[in-house]
Amino acid sequence: MSQTITIDPVTRLEGHGKITIHLNDQGEVENANFHVTQVRGFEKFSEGRPFYEMPSLMARICGICPVSHLIASAKACEAIMSVRIPHTGAQLRRMLNLAQMVQSHALSFFYLSSPDLLLGLESDPATRHIFGVAQAKPELGRAGIGLRRFGQHIIELLGNKRIHPGWVVPGGVTEPLAAAKRDEILKMIPEAQANIKLALAWYKQIADGFKPEIEVFANFASNYMGLINEDESVEFTDGALRLIDAKGETIADGITANQFSEVIGEAVEPYSYTKFAYYKPLGYPAGSYRVGPLARLNIAKSMGTPLADEELKLFKQIADGPVQSSFYYHYARLIDILYGIEKIEHILADPSILDKHVRATAGVNRLEGAGQAEAPRGTLHHHYKVDENGLMKWANLVIATGQNNHAMNQGVLQAAKHYIHDGKFSEGILNRVEAVVRTFDPCLSCSTHAFGKMPLELKLVSAEGEVVDRLVRS
Amino acid sequence: MTHSIAGQARCLILACGNTLREDDGVGPWLAAWVEGRFAGEPRARVLTRQQWTPELAQDVAEAESVVFVDCATNLAAGEVRLATVATTNASGSALATHHLGAAELLALSEELYSATPRSSLLLTVGAGSLELREGFSEAVKAALPEACAQLEKAVLDILADSSPQRA
Repeated sequence: MSQTITIDPVTRLEGHGKITIHLNDQGEVENANFHVTQVRGFEKFSEGRPFYEMPSLMARICGICPVSHLIASAKACEAIMSVRIPHTGAQLRRMLNLAQMVQSHALSFFYLSSPDLLLGLESDPATRHIFGVAQAKPELGRAGIGLRRFGQHIIELLGNKRIHPGWVVPGGVTEPLAAAKRDEILKMIPEAQANIKLALAWYKQIADGFKPEIEVFANFASNYMGLINEDESVEFTDGALRLIDAKGETIADGITANQFSEVIGEAVEPYSYTKFAYYKPLGYPAGSYRVGPLARLNIAKSMGTPLADEELKLFKQIADGPVQSSFYYHYARLIDILYGIEKIEHILADPSILDKHVRATAGVNRLEGAGQAEAPRGTLHHHYKVDENGLMKWANLVIATGQNNHAMNQGVLQAAKHYIHDGKFSEGILNRVEAVVRTFDPCLSCSTHAFGKMPLELKLVSAEGEVVDRLVRS
Repeated sequence: MTHSIAGQARCLILACGNTLREDDGVGPWLAAWVEGRFAGEPRARVLTRQQWTPELAQDVAEAESVVFVDCATNLAAGEVRLATVATTNASGSALATHHLGAAELLALSEELYSATPRSSLLLTVGAGSLELREGFSEAVKAALPEACAQLEKAVLDILADSSPQRA
């Protein structure tokens, strides 16, 4: 008799999702899906608002990476204003984005995934959490907390708030950086570097112990996309997008925010409120791709900072071409952090960072604009249309988690097929299936949206748990 | 590896709650009140968060004493309770990834930093309603003077403690 295994909720994620694994009569896995079950409507309820309110409104989508939404949104607004922001304003925003990346990656690696990596995927789930990490390896727990606080404190110093800072506005930032704040950030750099070095050294010690997982954690050929600079170094805030194939060959290059919607489409599947982004010329699902730390490092030829460049060389030795297993998102995430700390120090070393010219002003000069940035978990795209008075008529957000959605689903299916046979499974096996999703560090709260056709599934469930009726709108 | 010692305080008041969920906002409200009451008192430090997250363990470890402030769903609406918190009250099931209870934060500070405050108190106010709106239920409104009085006395007692500060 066929059977469906449901993991609900998937634990240690940002947001709420579930996994269903469908077994056939022989107890073998036929299909598996990762469902994003929450829904939001930020695009819809922004309609009618003045465009310059959009960064603050859109940042409320999420408490984990609001800064990326602030920046992508502000850039879309600047396209509507037709302004280039002052260099110092751009550098301050770059630093804010990197600080957010550090604190978000620290949460993902140390709080969400290190319990699996340190204590084991089969360990007692009652202790498989940050407290278990603190007991087993307190220095690792302290490093994680130290990096979280490093990123959060920079955000608070720059934006005056740890979450949802209003400092980033269309045209730049609201106030320049004070020398005292610069010095305070610089004082935190050595400790942050010590923490990430500890984490990198530890990761390298334990990674070989996860060879079986590396083989089946979303380990397949795919395309990758991310921002890159003209010198082919990694970029988080500006630059343009590059899409590469599974062999590392460039499929599309120099994709600007204005060109994004011409080449990237969004497919709908009936089991998730998150859409499935794909490269239009290849169609769906062939044009699906991965974004985030793994994609960024697969695409970039250099990081642009000394220590991160050394790590990138080691990362590139993992495979002849793009690194395909999503298990390596963990390693890539740590390299991202190292880069972020180095880059923040580099930005602050330039005396022009204290320049007072940090904001450009203008009104509505175009009726449409788009902006893009790298959120911690991947490329983020905002696209707006306004009327002559600057009131929002239409918005579309393409979120990193949506761009990883196809790969996450394929990864869940790959792991489930590998581990589950004859209808037999254990808690540790199901945790492995969950851990595949964790490697991507999806942020589900901002990944759901109501633009265009939205899938909907209604189930009528009896008191005994039997599904007695089902209605699907796809 | 080192960890920074920032914001050491004789008395850390650590409040939690969401001001958009009616009585859940009582923690932030009391934090704002106590911040005003002890304005200019360098030995008192007030932190307000929507959730208590693991990184607060460092602030807890560095404090001489802590007063946690929160609303409670296991008390009668408007009931004010001041109780001692101990790491032995920490519950494994309460060790969520993104937010912790007072006992779990204490336990985490002990595990990570081998330090816990000399005294740890939890002031809670029973919630009457946690609906999606600002403001308080009548029961919690009526309890605010009592909650302020108990919080003020707890902080004054801590500040009056003449024993030497931890090195």
